[in-house]
Amino acid sequence: MAKTVAEINEKIRGGTVVVVSAEEFSKMARSTDLATLAEEVDIVTTATFAPMCSSGAIINFGHWTPPIRMEEIRLNGVSAYEGLAAVDTYIGATAESKFDPTYGGAHVIEALIRGDDVRLQAHGKGTDCYPTREVDTWINKETVNEFYLFNPRNAYQNYSAATNSTGKIKYTYMGSLLPRFSNVTYSTSGELSPLLNDPYLRTIGLGTRIFLGGTIGYVVWNGTQYNTRRDRTADGVPTLGGATLAVVGDAKAMSTEYIKSAYYEKYGVSLFVGIGIPIPVLDEEMAAHLAITNDRIKTSIVDFGKEDHPPVRSVTYAELASGSVTLDGERPVKTAPLSSLAKAREIAGLLKAWIEEKQFFLTEAVASLPTDSFVRPLVPREGGIR
Amino acid sequence: MKKRYALRFSPTLVEQPIVSKLVRIYDVDINILNADVASGRGGKLIVELSGSQEALEESVAYLNEIGIIVSEMVKELIFLEDACIDCGACTAVCSPKALSLDEEARLFFDASLCVVCGLCVQACPLRLFSVSDERGA
Repeated sequence: MAKTVAEINEKIRGGTVVVVSAEEFSKMARSTDLATLAEEVDIVTTATFAPMCSSGAIINFGHWTPPIRMEEIRLNGVSAYEGLAAVDTYIGATAESKFDPTYGGAHVIEALIRGDDVRLQAHGKGTDCYPTREVDTWINKETVNEFYLFNPRNAYQNYSAATNSTGKIKYTYMGSLLPRFSNVTYSTSGELSPLLNDPYLRTIGLGTRIFLGGTIGYVVWNGTQYNTRRDRTADGVPTLGGATLAVVGDAKAMSTEYIKSAYYEKYGVSLFVGIGIPIPVLDEEMAAHLAITNDRIKTSIVDFGKEDHPPVRSVTYAELASGSVTLDGERPVKTAPLSSLAKAREIAGLLKAWIEEKQFFLTEAVASLPTDSFVRPLVPREGGIR
Repeated sequence: MKKRYALRFSPTLVEQPIVSKLVRIYDVDINILNADVASGRGGKLIVELSGSQEALEESVAYLNEIGIIVSEMVKELIFLEDACIDCGACTAVCSPKALSLDEEARLFFDASLCVVCGLCVQACPLRLFSVSDERGA
């Protein structure tokens, strides 16, 4: 019998809700039929903790006396966006310090979340209403008005795995890729990952309440590069890229346990973001999606040694998680993850506890995310450089 | 062959003619690279010994025997394990499998397998690895 989100929330209130993680659910599905599972389990928690470059924070610094219209802004030497109102900014996770390329926006965000003081330097041209031209001071999360993450593209549904055919090590956002196909890296929590468990985003949409960085956050739009036209497996799971989410959450309430700055050698700065999404087991169809296992999730291993990253072979996450795959059909090649499965499990467990303790209730989406969307390339046009 | 050692002494050993003894009895050449020795409070010497392998082994044995703490100056991997987030990126480059993920997906470092190639220093997105240069001998 089908359930509604409202009925599940009643069970949370009544203390009778049954919550399991997506890994536990997949295990249960080995010995229990889907109809029974759909009946008995109310919520499945999913999670991921991975580097997500398209992340950043909005900050309002408060007004200086006499006021300044900030037109150049630096936080610990990292440039932040100045094209908003006088004392609003957006600091992107991958923005690099002018002085140290291993330090960037992600580190500033982590420092602020931790409660550290951060140096703010701002310049304005001086106007009749904003006469101050220079500000050089210190801020922290208590001194600013708003400090919230707004991440334009997080929680990629699926992602290609990487290898390197060249004779030289390649330092990439997919980690250090050894020469001559000597390793393969991948970034997913697989069967625990949010959008692999709800492949058509039936229960995830605008306004969905989630775990973000250690506190409550929300899905506020589809993520950029949202693609519904990927090939799908028989289970409906895209075999590459796919859906993404734009998310928001109060960074003042976040924890550096679940938001972590990162630097990838010769690539740059990124941000590990912890995301957890509770998925209601509305009916048998949702139970079937939630029962997905790593051996039924596929991606492509692509060659970062070539400019267009051509696919080398198709692979399942069970193979990738086993520690080695074969690329030419013979020699085993070491595989390694870039996203932390241990942290993702921790997040799924925490979200489950929040629900059981009645601190977290499910939402129904205000609107669905796009059902037909694809990714356009940037093409050269006349008058530009080819 | 040549090897570098750090020698740490207690105050009572400072008075002993260690250097001349090594030269005379064990037939090794000593190059003192750094010295921090003061009467009454012990000290530390960084030395380079050259001689046959046997002579070096006997010299180290002698120094250990008289109570000097001898460390060989070799490369060693330092890992700030407490800050590790278990992402696994370092395991991608660790050929001897000194760095691996255990069954709970937690990072496990087996120092005995480490060959100090240093690839993990660059591979770790949190920069938790570095290479040091001293080890007990």
